[in-house]
Amino acid sequence: MDSSTALAFALPIGLGLAAIGSGIGFSRAIGSAMEAIGRQPEAYGKIQTAMIIGAGLIEALTIYAFVTMFLLQGKIH
Amino acid sequence: MQTISGLVAEAARFAGMTATEAAAEGGHEAAHELPNWITLINRFIGDTSLGHFLHQWEGMIYAYVVAGVVILLAQLASRNPTLVPGKLQNVVEMAVEGFANFITSILGEKEARKHIPFLGTLFFYILAMNLSGVMPLGKSPTASPNTTVALALCVFLYANFIGLTKNGPIGYLKHLAGSPRSGVEWVFAPLMFPIHVLGEIAKPVSLSLRLFGNVTGEDVLLFAFCSLGVTALSFMNSPVGIPFQTPFILLAFLTSLIQALVFTLLSTIYILLWLPHEEEGH
Repeated sequence: MDSSTALAFALPIGLGLAAIGSGIGFSRAIGSAMEAIGRQPEAYGKIQTAMIIGAGLIEALTIYAFVTMFLLQGKIH
Repeated sequence: MQTISGLVAEAARFAGMTATEAAAEGGHEAAHELPNWITLINRFIGDTSLGHFLHQWEGMIYAYVVAGVVILLAQLASRNPTLVPGKLQNVVEMAVEGFANFITSILGEKEARKHIPFLGTLFFYILAMNLSGVMPLGKSPTASPNTTVALALCVFLYANFIGLTKNGPIGYLKHLAGSPRSGVEWVFAPLMFPIHVLGEIAKPVSLSLRLFGNVTGEDVLLFAFCSLGVTALSFMNSPVGIPFQTPFILLAFLTSLIQALVFTLLSTIYILLWLPHEEEGH
């Protein structure tokens, strides 16, 4: 298998794996935030802010995989 | 082996990508994006030096145009402030006040007043740049790493400047060593120092990559569905395609807003982390 074929297989799989990981992270973070809002509706604003920061950090991991895919896409002939 | 060396070369090129190098790539990148008015001008004037110049500095031109629009709007809204605001003044005041309240809830009354001008500029500028990619014949300057790295470097320098002036040079170094207090913490300080320095460098890298990746992803998505809509009707030589991209334009509005918010929010947190610990209260 040459490097081009290997990349054509590895890039989508890698991106998918990163997306699975981020999805699990998101489900935990947002689920907990929703529970917290349900318990304390008056703290809605603070919980939302903290949740968005966390979501941004989690999402970055998939974005790294995405950027890597972009950089190496040109190598697939 | 070849792949690994290629990867290293790509990473080095990406890290050290200057405007000219990125521009030399321009033709290769344009294949993933919808055409904008610079592409149209290029099609019209053909292969001239002006066409090359416009194409190479596409992102910069759009960044300046967007900045001009934002400045013009702010000027128009605040030139003749009246007690009973007009339409434009009302909208701008609402946006600025909402944003100021949001930052105040994180930084606290005293600090927020100093940093709102910088953070507000960041937020509205990034929002306008993201939205210019949704506009017909527009392009997001933030879809190029040059813009986002520049923005993230601004935040990095600003936050470190705040840290240096608020804590003093000694306090700055102490903060980087993890603010040691007890004896054990002093023993581990040399160990913590490189970790904190690395973390400080990782902040602008992750900030810029996040914005770049998200906006590029959004643009590529729009392009993919546009071309899908065009190819779907190409068998009968239709001049227009099916607008498959419409739902994704709505999604793009949402991502534009969220990414601008996340960038500003994380910058705020980075500034907050550099403020002296007593005021922060933890």
